[in-house]
Amino acid sequence: MSRQYDKIIIGAGLYGLYAALFSGGRGQKVLVLECDASAFGRATYVNQARIHHGYHYPRSMSTALKSAGYFERFHREFSFCVNKEFEKIYATSGQYSWTDGKQFQEFCAAAGIPCEELHPERFFRSGMCDGAFLTKEYTYDAMILRDYYLEQLAAISSVEIRYGVRIAAIAKDTDDYVIRTEDGDEYRTAFVLNASYAGVNQILALAGYEKFAIKYELCEIILCEADEKLSQYGFTVMDGPFFSIMPFGKTGLHSLTSVTFTPHATSYEELPEFSCQAGSGGYCSRERLGNCNLCPVKPDTAFPYMANLARKYLREEYGFSYRESLFSMKPILMTSEIDDSRPTVIRTFSKKPTLVSVLSGKINTVYDLDEVLCDGE
Amino acid sequence: MANKEKNFVSAVIYVHNAEDRIENFMEAVLSVMETNFEHAELICVNDCSNDGSVQRIKEAAKKAEHVSVTILNMSYFHGLEAAMNAGVDLSIGDFVFEFDNTVLDFAQDTVMDIYQRALQGWDIVSASPDRKEKFTSGLFYRVFGYFTDSSTKMYTESFRVLSRRVINRIYSMNKTVLYRKAVYANCGLKTDRIIYPVRDGSRGRTDVREKKYRAGLAADSLILFTEVGYRFSKAMTALMMVMSIFMTVYSIVVYLSFHPVAGWTTTILFLSVAFFGLFGVLTIIIKYLQLLVDLVFKRKHYSFESIEKLT
Repeated sequence: MSRQYDKIIIGAGLYGLYAALFSGGRGQKVLVLECDASAFGRATYVNQARIHHGYHYPRSMSTALKSAGYFERFHREFSFCVNKEFEKIYATSGQYSWTDGKQFQEFCAAAGIPCEELHPERFFRSGMCDGAFLTKEYTYDAMILRDYYLEQLAAISSVEIRYGVRIAAIAKDTDDYVIRTEDGDEYRTAFVLNASYAGVNQILALAGYEKFAIKYELCEIILCEADEKLSQYGFTVMDGPFFSIMPFGKTGLHSLTSVTFTPHATSYEELPEFSCQAGSGGYCSRERLGNCNLCPVKPDTAFPYMANLARKYLREEYGFSYRESLFSMKPILMTSEIDDSRPTVIRTFSKKPTLVSVLSGKINTVYDLDEVLCDGE
Repeated sequence: MANKEKNFVSAVIYVHNAEDRIENFMEAVLSVMETNFEHAELICVNDCSNDGSVQRIKEAAKKAEHVSVTILNMSYFHGLEAAMNAGVDLSIGDFVFEFDNTVLDFAQDTVMDIYQRALQGWDIVSASPDRKEKFTSGLFYRVFGYFTDSSTKMYTESFRVLSRRVINRIYSMNKTVLYRKAVYANCGLKTDRIIYPVRDGSRGRTDVREKKYRAGLAADSLILFTEVGYRFSKAMTALMMVMSIFMTVYSIVVYLSFHPVAGWTTTILFLSVAFFGLFGVLTIIIKYLQLLVDLVFKRKHYSFESIEKLT
């Protein structure tokens, strides 16, 4: 005996819960299926918590413009979880950068985002950076955002979230998709939204559709205690094998990441295959990713490597120390290697019944979902 | 080993067509890093090798456990100095080892010996083989030492370790480093040298390109870091002055005692010597100008193709 829903959303990250609230608010009957025991347990929480304004993409104007467009809206609508009490400094490395200080400035002017030139040696060791800029970029607190969504959704009786659900099969049956779980439950709907991020291809494999061309990176975000001087700043050194150290939401901690040391392992397969999966005792596999952060065989921290890289650039007074590490799986579209763009991809695989997959690495492009959610109403 | 060093070290290895020895060499360096240091990275600067070096590096990198291995591929042949600068720029260690060649003629302990020496407060410690220097190298260092006022003598070195302090100092002192050894010798921080016994006599082949590069580098270094050019022109000027005085006296004597008919021979002689000196001076001026142009106007002094993180 199966239950019927207007929409079934796979994944209780930001994209999933945003879609649930959006549709539930219009009176639809929505079911959210989540494999973890709680919402926002993976990529929505484990990332740099950056609200992109476009600075990150000096080689992809389209990504920059899109981020900039949504930046104001996101921080207006979600101001309760946004931390803007710090100064965000972008700098361009003197060596090995694909973009120099002047080009970065021209790029900001073209993208229409604020960028005020500062003296690099105020923050960085002599000769390390050829440009430093005061910018406008904020960070969001995923846990506050989660609580907000759970509170809002609890007030809507037509929306239901199920945790710890393991999907066994997705099949098409005339005008419906039938989703069967390992516990033997069956759900029917005419609209499936696959918002499972790193699990996107695993869900598509169950439904028998063509997969996204992505690679997978097992990433580490380090949380640090910042010394007093550093606590008022966020730094990002561009544009190549460098690092970021910036406030992590409203936690009072700083997140530390680097381009070379944040990814611990990479898989170029359609479905994620990693050597650590063998040691996880069935918790994580090619077909079903576990939560790296809770995994018994998560990697050793790369803090010494990232810290040395950051200290090579930052002046001594901007010190920090290790608190803890967060791990998560990150899918990266293979097309974005050259220009380092991070497009939000929404792909419709079938209509009536509808199956839509969303893949986005940025929090503030969540509004891109509106169009596809309204479709067919 | 129970007590591993806490310092983060980087090892930068210069690789140019070394497929026959790179794998052994990397294994040796990797094993030193793995056994002695908690955290280390190894950067192979591939200076446009056209043999199987890259493949060998990738093979050797598979043996790394916690050491991070990176390969930096240069876009075209840069030569030892620029390529090593690129590698050191990329490194993040508190101490950085520079391996200028991949000839494994030292015992692995030597690597730790120079590191231990560095910990005692020497910012640059180098390791030299105990064999006789090649004739050309010996000549170069003698000429270099004679014509420079720096107190630090230079020798043939196989590898060395630098502190981060020295690297920072060099960053802020120089925009371009044409010849590292000369800059290190003049950076004003303490330097030391350890001589190690050569394990086996083979020097390893150097290919034609590298040989040509070294000859060119020697000429450039002598001009830029020593007073060779200046002293040569000074000597030349002095010689010409003496000759012109002599010529004046001679022509007066000739004028007074004989009939000045045979004067054309002396004129020719004078002119040829004067022109010889003049051309010498001109050559040096031109050399200086060319070097200045290189240093000042070539803003990006190296160009790399890709950085691949292997482990």
